Amino acid sequence: MNRPAWVRLDNASNIFLAARSDADPKVFRISAEMDHEVDPLLLQAALDEVYDRYPLYHAVMRRGVFWYYLQDSDLRPVATQEDEHTCAALYQVDRRSLLFRVVHHERRISLEVFHALSDGTGALWFLTDLLDSYVRLRDPATAQPQDADPEAVLLEHPDAPDQAADLHADPSEAAADALGLTSDSFAHYFRRGRRSDRPTGDGTAPAHDEAGSGPPTADETTTTDTPTEGSAAEAAAPSRPRRRPVAVGRRTVRGVHRVRGTRTPDNRPRLVELSMPATQVLALARAQGVSMTMYLTGLFFEAVRLSAGGLGRSQTIAASVPVNLRQFFPSNSPRNFFATVRVEHTYGQGDDDLGAICRNLEEQFGPEATPEALERKLRRFIRFERMPLLRILPRGLKDVILGLVNIANNRGLTVAVSNLGRVALPEPAESRVRRMMFHVTAVRPQFCSMSHDGMLTVSFTSPFTETDHVREFARMLAAGGVDVSVAATRVTEDEVAEVTDGAELRS
Amino acid sequence: MKRCGECAVDVEGTWTACPLCRARLEGEGCGEPFPVIPLDFSRRRVLRTLFLSSLAVVVLSFAAQLLFNRDSDGIGVLRSLWLGVAAMWLVVIMAVRKRRNVAKGTVYLVVLVGLSVTYWDYLTGWHGWSLTYAVPSLCACSIVALIITVRVMRIEVGEHIVYTGLAVLLGLAPIGFLGFGWVEDPLPSVVCGVLSLVALSFLQFARGTEVRHELGKRLHL
Repeated sequence: MNRPAWVRLDNASNIFLAARSDADPKVFRISAEMDHEVDPLLLQAALDEVYDRYPLYHAVMRRGVFWYYLQDSDLRPVATQEDEHTCAALYQVDRRSLLFRVVHHERRISLEVFHALSDGTGALWFLTDLLDSYVRLRDPATAQPQDADPEAVLLEHPDAPDQAADLHADPSEAAADALGLTSDSFAHYFRRGRRSDRPTGDGTAPAHDEAGSGPPTADETTTTDTPTEGSAAEAAAPSRPRRRPVAVGRRTVRGVHRVRGTRTPDNRPRLVELSMPATQVLALARAQGVSMTMYLTGLFFEAVRLSAGGLGRSQTIAASVPVNLRQFFPSNSPRNFFATVRVEHTYGQGDDDLGAICRNLEEQFGPEATPEALERKLRRFIRFERMPLLRILPRGLKDVILGLVNIANNRGLTVAVSNLGRVALPEPAESRVRRMMFHVTAVRPQFCSMSHDGMLTVSFTSPFTETDHVREFARMLAAGGVDVSVAATRVTEDEVAEVTDGAELRS
Repeated sequence: MKRCGECAVDVEGTWTACPLCRARLEGEGCGEPFPVIPLDFSRRRVLRTLFLSSLAVVVLSFAAQLLFNRDSDGIGVLRSLWLGVAAMWLVVIMAVRKRRNVAKGTVYLVVLVGLSVTYWDYLTGWHGWSLTYAVPSLCACSIVALIITVRVMRIEVGEHIVYTGLAVLLGLAPIGFLGFGWVEDPLPSVVCGVLSLVALSFLQFARGTEVRHELGKRLHL
């Protein structure tokens, strides 16, 4: 009798299920631009190969009486020509489908993942292996034995999913857990009574350098272990209550500016990708003495302020910034493992020039992104999740409560930012991949950035058709001497009609 | 690549106006970085609205019956017609909604139809026909139907076992009717009860592990 394995969701995933909506189905995409038109057959072959090594990606979402859970499936993924808008919903209630998809368009290969399955770092592992397989299949001549390629080891997670087949052979939660792959790192480190066996940690350095692009050394391809800043999520971690008394003493909720706009007609996200040479931006960040992430965040704040034509009564802009927990608490699990830190700036209370804003943000971010502070925060979240009263509530009621908590939390945020840092792929993929991009559906303006092959991409998403904040952002960069190129999705009827000539509306 | 002079940026694709500032672009266009996807006004929203409004109408129809004197025959035929239409529509929308899992759909139908006929009986002056005949036959038929369906459709044990279990438990209810003396003719209840007990013992002895596994999964705290 074949009984499929199943596992509980991790701490962050439950909130994604409660917080998803038509406009924000909690899906994110990581893309790689190849130096050639993508070959669909080879991509499919590569996908089949990699899929077998990632049992987690076989999972489908199920609804229990008290909690959601992930269950193993026999489904096989199909790499398709891109025929939906970016980050279209992946999870639909009662429909058992895979929680990720691989699509291609001309030179781009994109991996889209439902955020309850995995985070940015986890998905990047999968995409890295996919690109590696694809390029090796495409140029068998250049494909060398693994050990000829020391750089490849850097990105590969130690005990990669070799035991994939076992999941089918001996299915039960214990067995699935023992495989390590589906293990829940939140529970592993932060469940009460479990000691955090983090080895080094005290790294104020990695915390500070969260974008892999901070202080000077980050310039060359030296800091390319795993991408140090993970996960697209903005809603996940902060959405538990009781956060105000602790840590962030300066949190302002009232008076936080919130961007409003016109919703896109069919709820597709408005995506604008800005590509630019990483060194040019790095130089600007260094001139202000701050890390790249905080520089871009400060710039984003300014862009929002300028595009709103002044902030009116709400003078505070706040952002949520996810931190990859794997850098402090080693984990090979591709499941969600991140926390978010909130930073804010109130205009009109002192120095409001860009440099001062960035330094202010960095001062807030530093102390919050230490292993100790993160551990305190995560233990609180886990305690909340394990509260007996919450546990015995039926799932539907939990969704409502978590959804309300999420809405309350959103009221204190203007934007969200996420930086996957600089990515290096194993050869021969490294030399065949040009830009890499990353974006996520969002309920508020957001950007996601990453860099590869010397090009930094900053992808803005928003549920609104307006692009004013991106315009200000791009103009400020251009004024600083950065060569920016723009790629945008068409979301309004007019924009679509411009190309399709007499937009055929599907009804 | 095209260029926007106002923003001082290059623009990929074939845009005629800058996607950031709407100014006219100069230069030659290149390939679209993203496929152009026609707008999609989702059918799901229409279906959801239809479902919710149907449900509201059915519930209101049932509730409205209470306004009329329970025992009066004044609206006899009309009442039955009205209830019939409302109940049928309820059955249709639930069957459509739960079509992806036949076993689950069956249990939903048993509960809904069982409650509807009991209410109907109550409205028409409580002759007891619902508990004597309708509910026991419904439960017994659903068990038989499930046994046949899961075989014919080759539904995996894990997929249906919880719902089959629920159907069987519902089938035990007529034994209670019998015990409380709510029925006039004991035969249907006896048949249904015996069938359920046989099915229950089969579930317990032959499929006990599966049942426990599924319950552990679905009820985990």
